[in-house]
Amino acid sequence: MQGGSSGIGYGLKYQARCISDVKADTDHTSFLTGTLSLREENEVHLIRLSSGGTELICEGLFSHPNEIWDLASCPFDQRIFSTVFSTGSLFDIDLPFYGLKMETGLIVFFAGEGESYGAAIWQIPELYGQLNSPQLERIASLDAHTRKINCVLWWPSGRHDKLISIDDENLFLWTLDCSKKTAQVQSKQTSGMLHYLSGGAWDPHDINAVATTCESSVQFWDLRTMKKTNAVERAHIRNANYDMKNNHILVTAEDESGIHIWDLRKPKSPVKELPGHTHWTWAVTCNPEYDGLILSAGTDSSVNLWLAPTSAEEDATSESIVESPAQQAGPLLNSYSDYEDSVYGLAWSSREPWTFASLSYDGRVVVESVKPFLSRK
Amino acid sequence: METDDVPLDDKAKRMRDLLSSFYAPDPSSTDNAPSNPGTLDAINTTSFDADQYMNLLIQKSNLEALLQRHVEMAAEIKNIDTDLQMLVYENYNKFISATDAIKRMKTNIVGMEANMEQLLDKIMSVQSKSDGVNTSLFEKRERVEKLHRTRNLLRKVQFIYDLPTRLEKCIEAEAYVDAVKFYTGAMPIFKAYGDSSFQDCKQASEEAIAVIVKNLQGKLFSDSESIQARAEAAVLLKQLDFPVDSLQVKLLEKLEQSLGDLQLKTNDIENASMESNDPKQGKVSDSVHITAHEGSVRGFAEAISAYRVIFPESEEQLIKLVQDVVVKHFETTEQYVKGRISSANLMCVLRTIWTDVLLMDEVLSEAVLPVFSLEAAQIALKQHVASTFNYLLQDISDALLRVTVSSKEAAEEHSLQVALEASKKAVLQGSMDVLLDFRQLLDDDLQLLVQLRDFIIDWVQEGFQDFFRALYDRFLLLSGRNSSSRQDQGLTGAHGEKVLAGLVLVLAQLSVFIEQTVIPRITEEIAASFSGGGARGYENGPAFVPGVICRIFRSAGERLLHHYINMRTQKVSTLLRKRFTTPNWVKHKEPREVHMFVDLFLQELKESASEVKQILPQGLARKHWRSDSNGSTASSRSNQLRDDKMTRSNTQRARSQLLETHLAKLFKQKVEIFTKVEYTQESVVTTTVKLCLKSLQEFVRLQTFNRSGFQQIQLDIQFLRTPLKETVEDEAAVDFLLDEVIVAASERCLDPIPLEPPILDRLIQAKLAKWKEQNPISP
Repeated sequence: MQGGSSGIGYGLKYQARCISDVKADTDHTSFLTGTLSLREENEVHLIRLSSGGTELICEGLFSHPNEIWDLASCPFDQRIFSTVFSTGSLFDIDLPFYGLKMETGLIVFFAGEGESYGAAIWQIPELYGQLNSPQLERIASLDAHTRKINCVLWWPSGRHDKLISIDDENLFLWTLDCSKKTAQVQSKQTSGMLHYLSGGAWDPHDINAVATTCESSVQFWDLRTMKKTNAVERAHIRNANYDMKNNHILVTAEDESGIHIWDLRKPKSPVKELPGHTHWTWAVTCNPEYDGLILSAGTDSSVNLWLAPTSAEEDATSESIVESPAQQAGPLLNSYSDYEDSVYGLAWSSREPWTFASLSYDGRVVVESVKPFLSRK
Repeated sequence: METDDVPLDDKAKRMRDLLSSFYAPDPSSTDNAPSNPGTLDAINTTSFDADQYMNLLIQKSNLEALLQRHVEMAAEIKNIDTDLQMLVYENYNKFISATDAIKRMKTNIVGMEANMEQLLDKIMSVQSKSDGVNTSLFEKRERVEKLHRTRNLLRKVQFIYDLPTRLEKCIEAEAYVDAVKFYTGAMPIFKAYGDSSFQDCKQASEEAIAVIVKNLQGKLFSDSESIQARAEAAVLLKQLDFPVDSLQVKLLEKLEQSLGDLQLKTNDIENASMESNDPKQGKVSDSVHITAHEGSVRGFAEAISAYRVIFPESEEQLIKLVQDVVVKHFETTEQYVKGRISSANLMCVLRTIWTDVLLMDEVLSEAVLPVFSLEAAQIALKQHVASTFNYLLQDISDALLRVTVSSKEAAEEHSLQVALEASKKAVLQGSMDVLLDFRQLLDDDLQLLVQLRDFIIDWVQEGFQDFFRALYDRFLLLSGRNSSSRQDQGLTGAHGEKVLAGLVLVLAQLSVFIEQTVIPRITEEIAASFSGGGARGYENGPAFVPGVICRIFRSAGERLLHHYINMRTQKVSTLLRKRFTTPNWVKHKEPREVHMFVDLFLQELKESASEVKQILPQGLARKHWRSDSNGSTASSRSNQLRDDKMTRSNTQRARSQLLETHLAKLFKQKVEIFTKVEYTQESVVTTTVKLCLKSLQEFVRLQTFNRSGFQQIQLDIQFLRTPLKETVEDEAAVDFLLDEVIVAASERCLDPIPLEPPILDRLIQAKLAKWKEQNPISP
């Protein structure tokens, strides 16, 4: 429970999985989060950390037609964000009686799939504060998908008119035109048989490099040719995140075996291994400012803060594990365990890089500061 | 009054003084007494003032005393007068006798000159006569001398002519010393005239000398000759300007050859010492071998000493040679050490070498062989220690790997247990044996080892330290989750994936065993017999730090245990993943029976439980310690929850159920799901189950279900409830987790209407029946 008191809480109405830092908002530290409720009306919350840093204020509340599985804020326009949603719940809410029919198997859902997924780019209306019930404006639908969509990626480092969306089998590159409100598929690549994609990350250092995670490996793509360039063989990777500061460094979270840090020039074996969480390590994210500061969220209802600089000599550290097991606990700076449920959402604030927001499944957003641990560096 | 006291001999003394003052060159020197003119004593000084004296006398004395003084003075004056007279006479006497002597001398000198002239004449004549004799004899003497010279020359010539025969005689008599002396004597002549007048002679004698040289060489090389004789021969040969260097080289070669023989024998000894490991009969041959070897070494040493006498300046080569011997000895030893040998055997070899070294040192102490061999022995011993530990490591990993093989081939019930016991024994017994082995090294009184004692202690301590580190690495390698051994990927890659979970468990338990039993034992043992050392300096502390090792293994044990649990849950995870990603949950059909993944799941658990049962001890408190306290409340509450659901199912769908579960959760005590794993059967199994159920929950959360899908989950979970509770220690937590799964499923369900309890029951009963049918014995 250490550090529990320092966190600033904010409760969502329903369960939720995803939270995103609003990077383009340079005036405030804000986060976007969307709920995941099958049967209720879902919401997108724009949360802002008060100037004193003591309170989380709901800056905007927008209804979202479907339950949100993934949410990403546009890195160059604070009003734009993307969501991935499941449309399975649509029928339950709007057409309650379909439930009965569904049971008897009379109604066939989209294209033979039981539930359907969609992805869209949304814009928060201007002057949303003055509107009574502000509606999100759908800029574009990323509707070329036929499979379960996993995530939508923005290029993290700046303005770029491309978007990537990943579903179970395919990787789509979209050209987004916000003014014309269109999104067009620029290219598409199928990952190949037996590779069910589960997520991905866009290299902040290289506009043409994208990593996708699938069941047995992490694959790297060159967006110009849409060809696979590299792969790291590793099973059950949940999440991957590029180090914002160091090129070639990728951090992955795995179900059972913790966190691995890879130098992509040496994909054979990880540079570093962190123990991860008691149960699955769900999400991992590198701090945008402080080198080697890594956050991980796990299904053991905790968020761990790690310090694992990779730029230093790696060999010495791997040896030091053997040298003295006392140091082994070294990389773990703190464990925030004041959560009631599994933590799926995790985001560093890019404006105040010592702050992060975490979101547990019960819909509780907690913003914490890691400042007390930075001094130890 | 004072004059009365003047002693009698005062008079004589004054006389003498006066006389001496008369003859003295400086009159002032006599009056050394600085007289006070104011006293009566001043009468005797030169500065005597009569008037003053009188005045003083008159003032000081009365009449009677004055009269007295007067009489005395008169007497004294008279005395002095007589003295003076005597002195004059004496002087006169002496003068007269002197004149007499001079007169006599004058008369004696007159006749002497004539005698002198006569003498001169006679001496002159003697001289002229002797000159005459000299000249007349000179010629004859010259001739005599010439003749004498000729005779000498002739004799020499004769000698040279005789030389060959003489040499031959010498050869016959083996008097080589004389022969060489003769020959070298004749050499200058041969050199000067050898080509002309003495040609034949020279040839003949050279032939003779050639024979001598040959004989001498033979003598030099023949081992039967005494060393002195051989040394003499060498000296003679050298005198004969024979190229001794080549001889030296030859002899050296011979020595080197004998070296080869020596080498072979070292091997023999090794063999012998190997044999000596076997029953007693080996010992006899052993000693025989050793004595044989010793003999040859002694011979070698003698040869060396002889050689040294013969060629005193060849020390360097000899030193090199001897050192070569030692180096070769140690090379073979090192080769030998690479193999698997006991310290006793090594000691045997070392002892042999040491005796050799001592033998050789006796004859050639300049080679500092003891120091040299000490260094070499140091290396050899170090290697020995290292290789011993290596073999120990090998043994242990062999014992462990046997697990893999045996459990693969014959899936016996107790194979893991057997393996654990075997590896435990391998570790404990092995390290004890090693210690015992090294003890022998320490206990031996061989000087070589005594000097190295400190080093050995350090090496052993260091060896253990390194050994346990290596063992730790090996464990990680075997367990397949090694981060530090990425270098040998080929090895890990080969069997890394196929590492048996059981093996990991064995390793975990073994780590604990090492930490709790082996390390203390070894520490004790080391303290008992390997204390001291300190050759590597105290600032480094002792080489063997049990605390560090214990810590390493404690953490290793925990890591391995976690790893084991991870491996187990990973398997289940894969199972669950398949289960949840394959079917289309939204179009799920009505549940007809408990899904077979439950069987697989339970089977995995059973497998794990059987492994765990073999390796880990039972926990102390079984099951009940938790259920009394918070556990019971939690479970009862969850029961309530379930009942709630049941009742609700009769009415209609549970719309506000989510809120309710949330509320329930709020009030419910947070069940500690992830507790610390202990080294007990129950704890491990419970943790595994908990993790699996948590995974199940997470998988469920990722799906969307229709009513039938939800009901299927409900059914599966309901079925799992009983068997899980049987195997698990922490019922409350498991209950909680099972409920959580159902809650998660209901949350993710479009239409969460649970199955009616009777239907649920019926399906479960059917499954149970089927299960019993399939495994008639095991449940």
